[in-house]
Amino acid sequence: MQLLMNGLIAGSLAALIAGGLALVYGVLGVFNLALGQMVLVGGYATWWFHVPLGLPLSASIVLGLLMGAALSWASFELFVNPFYKHHRFLPLVTTIALSMILDAAILLLWSERPRSIPTTGGGMISIVGMQATFTQLTLIMCTLLLLCGFACLFHSTPFGRKLRAVVQNPLAAMSLGVPAPLLHRIVFIMSGVFAAAGGIFLGIDQTLSTTIAFPLTIKAYAAIIAGGKGNIWGAVLCAYLIAILEQLLVGVHWFGTFYVSAGYQSTVALLFIIVFLLWKPQGLFATSQRLA
Amino acid sequence: MSLLSVSHLSLTIQDHSILHGVSLSVDEGEIVGLIGPNGSGKTTLFNVLSGFLKPTSGSVHYRGQDITNVSPSKRAKLGIGRVFQNFGIFREMTLEENVLVALEALPKQDRKNLGNLKDVVHGTLDMVGLLSHAKKKAGSLSGGQMRLLEIARTLKSGKTFFLLDEPTAGVSPKMTEQVADLIRQLKIEGKTVVIIEHDLPFISRICDRVIVMDVGRVVLTGKPQEVKKSKELQELYFGAELV
Repeated sequence: MQLLMNGLIAGSLAALIAGGLALVYGVLGVFNLALGQMVLVGGYATWWFHVPLGLPLSASIVLGLLMGAALSWASFELFVNPFYKHHRFLPLVTTIALSMILDAAILLLWSERPRSIPTTGGGMISIVGMQATFTQLTLIMCTLLLLCGFACLFHSTPFGRKLRAVVQNPLAAMSLGVPAPLLHRIVFIMSGVFAAAGGIFLGIDQTLSTTIAFPLTIKAYAAIIAGGKGNIWGAVLCAYLIAILEQLLVGVHWFGTFYVSAGYQSTVALLFIIVFLLWKPQGLFATSQRLA
Repeated sequence: MSLLSVSHLSLTIQDHSILHGVSLSVDEGEIVGLIGPNGSGKTTLFNVLSGFLKPTSGSVHYRGQDITNVSPSKRAKLGIGRVFQNFGIFREMTLEENVLVALEALPKQDRKNLGNLKDVVHGTLDMVGLLSHAKKKAGSLSGGQMRLLEIARTLKSGKTFFLLDEPTAGVSPKMTEQVADLIRQLKIEGKTVVIIEHDLPFISRICDRVIVMDVGRVVLTGKPQEVKKSKELQELYFGAELV
């Protein structure tokens, strides 16, 4: 049961990042390989506002999210928008360049020391045999609230309908008067906010370190490939699934004889991608269409 | 003054010249058929008129306003509607949502004038016999039903000028008649329509005027009966004059 709780905590972090990424992939059809760095910038910025500058945690979180939004917007204008219309694979290259620039900027601004965002509320709570801190439960609840809020926005509002229309058929949406280029921007900025939220989650629950950007990106991509490229809820569900599998891989005493080394934990996401590409290349939640 | 006026429109994409100095005009309330063999540039011309492609040279004027560099969504707000050759519907959305998204994209005042949007949505679906499928996903419809949904949605979205790209492609004879009735209804309402079609009898039945294109140029224009009898059209479509 404890492994399930650990999976829920890790999955909530991955779901935040993968949800935003799936939205970007669904709307723009582009891969953002600087996503992990955007996560780190959100986390480090919040730490910087809260610890060295001494701002209250709530204000620091809001500023961290705003930093994520601003970075995402600038990234879209400089590294994605000028390129993706020519070929949707071009941002693969430009966002690799962006990830390197951000890596260097993070080192320059915040050095390579691991950082944690301190919080109160570290007391343990036990729920049906599962242990978690109050902070961890708050993080899970905040993630679920954010995702539920986004689900309402996406499925029950005129803005969400326009967004889904642009995801499914951008030309038809534009011909009806939906301003697709503006929505592309908004979606990219929203994914940046989700990434920054993931970074804040990471900084509060674990530690921020410059080496984790790439594994975070890989996990998010595993979730969106397995979930059905561009299917946000498929990506969110698969993010939780991957996180739980990771916990099971290293936490279970396999056949009563051996444990898998924690070093192999990160291979779960890669295995997930390979298995899904072989078994169901269209993803778990890709829907079939009538052909005639 | 013409509702739409296109002058000396040319388009070159990657050294490939697709449109060569196309000039044409469409008057308000007119139903115009745009015909020509495959690859003659009809859909490309529609893409330029909708704003999806920018011409290399030439201009497009709508209601006297130069819209050559206006974005597709702004053209839609000016009243230009488009029905696509390859189904411009949102397959993962319900039929209700497909219509609703079109209504919600209207300028605020136009949306208010429509009244209760839910009633308009149901009225639109009822018009084409799809009300019983309102809660189904559009991707589950047959090709003909998708076409009717797209046409009905465009017609009810407050547009005044319609670009219909092969509206009867893949549609049964019965549904083709339904499409023809919808277009006739538009004429009664004083709307303007340009239709790309390969179905010449359909064009003859509903169009006031026909424009013939070939290799990116307008080669002929006139009333349907005159154009039908012309040697140029017969040579374009059948490779020789019909006896």
